[in-house]
Amino acid sequence: MSSKYDFPILELENVTFAYSGRETIINNLTLSVGNGEFIGLLGANGSGKSTILKLASGILQQRSGRIDLWEKEMQSYRNKDRAKLLSYLPQLLDINVPFTVRELVGMGLYPYDILPHLTVDEALDAVGLADKAESPLTDLSGGERRRAFIAMTLLQGAGLLLLDEPLANLDIKYQMELLKLLGELKEKKGIASIMALHDINIAFQFEKVMLIKEGTILGMGTPDAVLTGEMLKEAFGVSIEVKRADDGSTYINYGSVL
Amino acid sequence: MRTALLSNVLMLGVLLTASAGFADGNISGRRSTAPPERIVSLAPSMTEILFSLGVGSRIVGVTSFCDQPEEAKKKQKIGGMSNPSLEAVVSLRPDLVVMTTDGNPREFQERLRLLKIPTYVWKGRMLAGLPQGIRELGAELALPEQAEKLARKIERALAGRKVTSKKTKKHRIQSLKALFIVWPEPLIVAGPGTAIDDAFTLLGIRNIASPTRTTYPKYSLEEVIYQAPDVIFVGQGHVNMKDISKGLLRKLKMVPAVRNGAVCYVSDSLYRLGPRVIRGIEELEKCFD
Amino acid sequence: MFRLKLLLLLITLALVFLGSLFLGPKIISPFGYNDIEKEILVSIRMPRSIVAVLMGMALGGAGAVLQGILRNPLADPYILGISSGASLTAAMGLLTGFYVFGRFSIPMTAFIGALLVTLLVGAFGRKRGVILPDRLLLAGVGLSFLFHAILMLLLSLSTDEGLRRTMLWMYGDLSLAEWSLIPYGTVLVLLGLGIAVSRFKALNALILGDEFAHSLGFSAHRERLILFVSVSLMTAASVSLGGTIGFIGLLMPHIMRFLIGADSRLLIPASAVAGGAFLCLTDLIGRSIMPPMEIPSGIITAIIGAPYFLFLLRRSNVLKI
Repeated sequence: MSSKYDFPILELENVTFAYSGRETIINNLTLSVGNGEFIGLLGANGSGKSTILKLASGILQQRSGRIDLWEKEMQSYRNKDRAKLLSYLPQLLDINVPFTVRELVGMGLYPYDILPHLTVDEALDAVGLADKAESPLTDLSGGERRRAFIAMTLLQGAGLLLLDEPLANLDIKYQMELLKLLGELKEKKGIASIMALHDINIAFQFEKVMLIKEGTILGMGTPDAVLTGEMLKEAFGVSIEVKRADDGSTYINYGSVL
Repeated sequence: MRTALLSNVLMLGVLLTASAGFADGNISGRRSTAPPERIVSLAPSMTEILFSLGVGSRIVGVTSFCDQPEEAKKKQKIGGMSNPSLEAVVSLRPDLVVMTTDGNPREFQERLRLLKIPTYVWKGRMLAGLPQGIRELGAELALPEQAEKLARKIERALAGRKVTSKKTKKHRIQSLKALFIVWPEPLIVAGPGTAIDDAFTLLGIRNIASPTRTTYPKYSLEEVIYQAPDVIFVGQGHVNMKDISKGLLRKLKMVPAVRNGAVCYVSDSLYRLGPRVIRGIEELEKCFD
Repeated sequence: MFRLKLLLLLITLALVFLGSLFLGPKIISPFGYNDIEKEILVSIRMPRSIVAVLMGMALGGAGAVLQGILRNPLADPYILGISSGASLTAAMGLLTGFYVFGRFSIPMTAFIGALLVTLLVGAFGRKRGVILPDRLLLAGVGLSFLFHAILMLLLSLSTDEGLRRTMLWMYGDLSLAEWSLIPYGTVLVLLGLGIAVSRFKALNALILGDEFAHSLGFSAHRERLILFVSVSLMTAASVSLGGTIGFIGLLMPHIMRFLIGADSRLLIPASAVAGGAFLCLTDLIGRSIMPPMEIPSGIITAIIGAPYFLFLLRRSNVLKI
């Protein structure tokens, strides 16, 4: 992995966050993302994965600490300029308005006043939705809808993608294809992503993972180093056996539960 | 008056409290034959008739719209015509409540009946029925002479109109088309079933709004232009109707009445089926002098 | 394709407009009319039809924008109490003799009321940035009741000039249309529509949700405020032109979403044009079916719109756009 830039494109330092009048959700979080990095974010429900992504995308503003995008304070960006640098895709895509796929994907170009670096059709090709371009969103399956939004994000052309559970409700086939696509983007264009995940087995595919518990980082690094049985027990509160297959890949064994 | 008119405008003349539903017979619930001493009137027209019969001093309660004659304003108020307060009425301990099918809620009589308060319900709506109505009310109040006198006076006035209009003014008034504006914007006019319409008939004037089936219809402006009334009456309320009719009359500048300056502002006398209708008819007639 | 559909809509509007000029309680031939008919055309039907088109455009456009910002297909200036709020402040302005803006006083006071209610409903219907559709609607209904009651109170206290206007605002009625209303009405409606159409990208993004709007480079708060202003301008224009008319803002965007699609760039102008045609048509019906009596347009739009509203309520996914 070669980086054109030797400084982090996103940096969170000692970030704390709480909704007004509520308990602290994120506590003293420090994190940096380099160009082209591909990070998996793991943790139990309510551990703060979504909040971290919202802080990292500037939707939420930290209580204390520093969040920099390309070495510049996140909140100092003009909205449009920030949108060219990072793109955020929430977990819930509950939209019942019949935008066509083409219209939706085209929204990825909203931050730009110039011609696109990529066309809507190319973005649709990339997610395998070329034949659904004119279909209304409301006619798509959950997975197709997810891919349409990914295409919109691709068209937005940001160098940093913050994806909240993008693999949720995707068939295994599309989970694989999406991961492959993001891998290619990383290789070809140096696009970095942080992706909140549920499936620990998939996390083993990542170069770098981050394990969260109650708003703090339990561990960050390669999956083998972070996703140990001990750490997973700490994060999820359940004993999980981490096994290594003959081919060297790692997987977890839930044991016999039923 | 204002609210009576208001309800007309608001409900676009749908306020038709049908006489069906009121108990049969004009009177109900009287126990003794002694003339009533504490009367409550639930309608401005009734108040005016009662005063004309000389029993004004026996009235203990009126509606907030009873402003004629002047003394009526000093009486205890019991609420509006369509929403009189039962409590206020009862607390006045009346031995007779006079009401009308033309504006009072019919349930009110039933409530009073349950409370054993005698009621008199006036059911007439037509100008021609006014004298007879007064006679009946007079009989009830044990005032047959006064009632007869007032009834005759009105009868003479009505009869007199007919003669006058036939003999001396026939060629001028008859076959003239007229419109009576109750409210200019939106345009509400007097339709059939009103004392105004009756008065028109009496004078031999044709009310262009007669074919509508509503007492106070919301009327089409262009229809007024087509019908081309020769005279337009504008009823005054508490409002300066001259000011608020300007816009309407500007739009009707093609109409003969407006073109020839035959727009006549009259009082609200004809809005109430009471003794002042005589003056109301005179006012209409004066507009032709 | 879309442009063709928009063109067809415009042609429909033109036809309805011509129809409302020459049809009516009596048919006037466009090729030969006498003086009286000319007078009726110029003084009565023309200003009335133009006012109907302007009001309908304002209401249709406002509905399309509101449904988007609030992510609620049941949003409409009437249902959410924005119209009655505008009527209320305009009535208050009249009663207190507030004439700071001269000719624009009535629409300006109406605008202030509309904007306040829009913000209030928006605030009521959201909790920590998330729109709660049922709360939104109930807030609108609640406010509507309140304003109606205050209007009734004002009505019973008011001087007669105020009374006349207030009644008009409570029950939409186009019979008062006259040429002098048209210049400021046109300015306000076009201004409101112009703002809305110029922010179509932000509106599309807001329809996806605040987080999408943020990600696509919009400040959700600022864009929503701008669009609220545009809705308020249009609602104020329509209220001061001919009072409170309901359901056009509800119906038009639905029909247009079906015919034209959901993209706000087309949906807003299409809903506006369709609203103009619709109100012009219902007004034509209202003044033609029972001559010489007139049925106020608001009654006809409600007779058509209210059942559709109920029909929409029955659909399960209706509370979320």
